[in-house]
Amino acid sequence: MATRKARQGEMLESVYSVLAMVFVLVACVELCDAATVLDVYRLIQYDLAGSPFGSRFASLNHHASSSAFAPGVDLSRSVAISPVRELNLTVLREFIEMRRPLGGLLFLLPKHFDRSGKQDAEEGDEVEVGRWRNTLAELEDLLIHASLPYPVYFAFENDKVAEILVDVRKNDASSQPATATTGGFKLLVSTSEPKKLASTSITNIQGWLPGFKADDDVNQLPTIAIVASYDTFGAAPALAVGSDSNGSGVAALLELARLFSRLYSNSKTRGRFNLLFGLTSGGPYNYDGTSKWLRSLDQRLRESIDYAVCLNSIGSWKNELWIHVSKPPENAYVRQVFEGFSDVAKELGVKVGLKHKKINISNPRVAWEHEQFSRLRVTAVTVSELSVAPELLQNSGGLDDSREFLSESSVIKSVKLVAETLARHIYGHQGKNIEIFADGSSLAVNPSYISAWLDFLSQTPRVAPFFVKNDPFIASLKKELAEHTVEVNVHQDVLDGTYTFYDSTKAQLNIYQVASVAFDLLLLLVVGSYLILLFSFLFITTRGLDDLIGLFRRPPSRKVKTA
Amino acid sequence: MTVFHFFNCAILTFGPHAVYYSATPLSEYDTLGTSIKAALVYLGTALVKLVCLATFLQVSENDSFDPYQELLKALIGFIDVAGLYFALTQLTHRNISQNNKFQAVGLGWAFADSVLHRLAPLWVGARGLEFTWEYVLQGLESNANLVFTVSLAAMGSLMWLRKSKPRALIPLIYVCAGILATMPSITSYLRRSLGWRLPEVVGFELSASLVMAIISWQLFSACQRPLV
Repeated sequence: MATRKARQGEMLESVYSVLAMVFVLVACVELCDAATVLDVYRLIQYDLAGSPFGSRFASLNHHASSSAFAPGVDLSRSVAISPVRELNLTVLREFIEMRRPLGGLLFLLPKHFDRSGKQDAEEGDEVEVGRWRNTLAELEDLLIHASLPYPVYFAFENDKVAEILVDVRKNDASSQPATATTGGFKLLVSTSEPKKLASTSITNIQGWLPGFKADDDVNQLPTIAIVASYDTFGAAPALAVGSDSNGSGVAALLELARLFSRLYSNSKTRGRFNLLFGLTSGGPYNYDGTSKWLRSLDQRLRESIDYAVCLNSIGSWKNELWIHVSKPPENAYVRQVFEGFSDVAKELGVKVGLKHKKINISNPRVAWEHEQFSRLRVTAVTVSELSVAPELLQNSGGLDDSREFLSESSVIKSVKLVAETLARHIYGHQGKNIEIFADGSSLAVNPSYISAWLDFLSQTPRVAPFFVKNDPFIASLKKELAEHTVEVNVHQDVLDGTYTFYDSTKAQLNIYQVASVAFDLLLLLVVGSYLILLFSFLFITTRGLDDLIGLFRRPPSRKVKTA
Repeated sequence: MTVFHFFNCAILTFGPHAVYYSATPLSEYDTLGTSIKAALVYLGTALVKLVCLATFLQVSENDSFDPYQELLKALIGFIDVAGLYFALTQLTHRNISQNNKFQAVGLGWAFADSVLHRLAPLWVGARGLEFTWEYVLQGLESNANLVFTVSLAAMGSLMWLRKSKPRALIPLIYVCAGILATMPSITSYLRRSLGWRLPEVVGFELSASLVMAIISWQLFSACQRPLV
């Protein structure tokens, strides 16, 4: 008897342990099958000289709401979804300034629409596009300079999200905003907390094309430098492709390298100037990379630079280009350079203007790239479509700077302008009406080359802190420059420490349709009553009503039996 | 509140079996053993069906109704009937009346069917945050299935266990059993050919189950009356 009980006990124990294991295993199955999954891009998070900016959190787990910052609504546990097309910036500005609590913010960006070749879009369309581009630029400016203690994400509109937004709006209009008890949509981004990135490394790539040096010439040949910065900064670092700022500059620089390498490949047409091509990083941060690169150059080389041409945003101008200088226009050298540009410009049918901005040594702000050269006493100019210097972190490749707003013909015209000007200076053809890079010749500017590079640059976000070690993009720039120049050097340095960046720029958003607690309770009630009804029905039909009532009567007391 | 939802759907799916067992005289006569044996026979039948399906059936790319394939599936479905036959006749049961035997067998069969087909999707799906009506409908389907199986078991016991049946009712019994056995093919035809969505199919199943239950009840009680 005892052994049987012992055996039974053992069996039960083993059964229990197996059951427990099964439960543990099964509970580990974490499922996440949402109705909608969306790629979202986080607002940048950075510290500038210790002050925090941007969105300070990354993970999101709240209900969706679309009540567009109406006053008096408690949004601390919901995510506000705002399509950018219908955004009211003043209300948003007030909301942020008053530091109202919010669970999260999701901006919906308009889908890219294909405007390749559609230069003659309708008038209304253009105005509409222009309006939301302005809104986008202002929004970016607002977000970059605010410190937001909640996650802020950008996503592109698509049909599913539009449907969900309609539903959310209907819910909001009918009752209070969604919480755990009223059902609705739940937005979930599960990522870890953003971590500080270790020091940002900046990589400057230089290409050297030596000029023709006769054997009896002892002096160092003069050098002309062509420089463009290739990195960007935007509100959403995973989307900051900067097609115009400064993708256009990079593409133009590569095309110039290609053209001059063709000229210089033949010793008969090699000019008596060395050419130095520089692709610099750290552009948005007061051209820190350019400054460090110049200081790393050999002093003799630096002194041999005749003048430097910096290219910045040359992709969407129509008739007027600006030459920015820091030396006064009366300076003979500046006048000579400017005359060279305006002669060629006149022939091409475009206008160039001269803008002078004095450098203030005590002010750390470096508005143009040529100022870094000027601080080291090298003559330099910046060729740009912008007439006014942008502020810090402005116009450095933000959300509205995408491929469709770029005009290839502008880039081609700029390349032609700079190439002809430089060539006339190199070969001494000033004032003469000789067109070296004529269309149709073997030295014509190649539109497909420029177009291909613009496409590539417009698909690569290039915010400096988020480049990986041995980034393939930087390697491809290096390889391309190596094809056109004789010697390529890569200079690596670290971005100055006042900037600290945080990771986590891209994530996946899951949107779930959830039912409220009230619904679950209701369902429990319904199922419970169904089962009770079923039980009573079966009991009555098989055993009779009396037995059912008998269930509830207390059994006769035992006292009667024992007595 | 997603475990809550899982709990709700689970009691909707498996509750009726427990309720059926406890409400009817089955619990008085302690027919649990019979039900368990029937569940095991169902397991065996399911394995055999799986092997046959894997061997003979081709997977079609589109979701249309292929008559040949459906015919094959229906034939393989008759293995179900064979399994029920085995459970009803060949297994040794304790001395329990005809009445309770088919109920116990049907209950065990339906419970095994529910667990095998519906527990895993329920566990994996209903615990997620996303809310769909799918699992509630699945629970209703399980209820309808219970009724179908008990009716089929009743018809089966009439066909194989009762030797004396009124002449007129015999073809009716076979027709009834035939309809019940081919019910899966009928629902799949509705779903694919006519394009009915899940709620409509479940509604059809529930109403059909009630109808078949009433018919089989009448047939069974008609056969209970001693022959004159």
